[in-house]
Amino acid sequence: MKTTEPPQNSSEEQKGIYIVLPAYNEEKTIKEVMGELIDLGFNLIVVDDGSTDNTYRVSMNFLKSHPSQVSLYRHPINRGLGATLRTGIEAAVSHESNVIVTFDADGQHHSQDILPLCQPIIQGEADVVIGKRNFKEMPFRKKFGNVVMNIITLIFYGKDVEDSQSGLRAFNQKAAGLMELHSRDYGVSSEIIGEVRRKDLRMIEVPVTTIYTDYSLSKGTNTRVGLKILARLIRNVFK
Amino acid sequence: MILYQYIGLIIGIIGIIVTFLRFKDGKMSLNMLLVWSAIWILLIVFSIYPDTTTLLASITGIGRGLDLILIIGLIGCYYFIFKIYNIMENIEEEITHLVREIALEKGRSEDKRDDTSPKDNK
Repeated sequence: MKTTEPPQNSSEEQKGIYIVLPAYNEEKTIKEVMGELIDLGFNLIVVDDGSTDNTYRVSMNFLKSHPSQVSLYRHPINRGLGATLRTGIEAAVSHESNVIVTFDADGQHHSQDILPLCQPIIQGEADVVIGKRNFKEMPFRKKFGNVVMNIITLIFYGKDVEDSQSGLRAFNQKAAGLMELHSRDYGVSSEIIGEVRRKDLRMIEVPVTTIYTDYSLSKGTNTRVGLKILARLIRNVFK
Repeated sequence: MILYQYIGLIIGIIGIIVTFLRFKDGKMSLNMLLVWSAIWILLIVFSIYPDTTTLLASITGIGRGLDLILIIGLIGCYYFIFKIYNIMENIEEEITHLVREIALEKGRSEDKRDDTSPKDNK
């Protein structure tokens, strides 16, 4: 993995793109993920969610070597994906960002998908773009949880999407600033879809590639997480 | 008076003392003082005059006085569980808010420091 300065040909487009990288105990993958994104010329906003491993130290090394490209935020204690994304998005909005992308730090996303994901926003065709994963390639236990979550998102938030739980999304400044998120955990993905509907934002889904490794499979939405999110959504109804 | 009445009376008195001490120490709000005092006073009244429960039961249409006490107790327990759950959720949200503010504030000050100091790898 290279950790060199951004390539000379990094375009203006990349300079306006801020990648929010939520990370919790991702020391195994974050070095590679950050190195790749920095090499591609993107700006990174890393939010360490109270990791107990070397995630923060690894990110800090990148911050020291690429201070113009990397911003690092740290939750003193673990608060969950939702809280981490909220911090990252708020930080990104405060920068001069044209496009804000959320990207999982577990290495499941393909960095080459970022620019195609951002295109509809750059061209003014959408406010929010969701990177939809190919469910045919998805292992069963993942697929089940994700299909259930799509149904739940439709029931609770009234929006039918092909992949409500994708961690790869892009927002324009306006949409990111409008997001009023309250979830602390994985429920945030459905909540984002709900906000898109509530704020009447233009959303499209763009196909993306997912890299399934044993590591990335152990994280994210599975059946257990799906049931937890369902319990929380039901509770929110009675709140 | 029989044994359970004495037990009820003693628990009620201890409850009132603990409630007042907690209020005095500032660990309990005025609302909670009133709620808990009412609960303990009712316990004492029901212990000394068990017949009052039968009276209440007949007014509410529930067969026996003891049944009424159990139903009220159960509803009270559910209410407190719900209340505690909501308090916990609020505390969780407040902690999250604090943690996020700390992270953003610290991140911003580091960004400013980076802006003012010469970039080391540029």
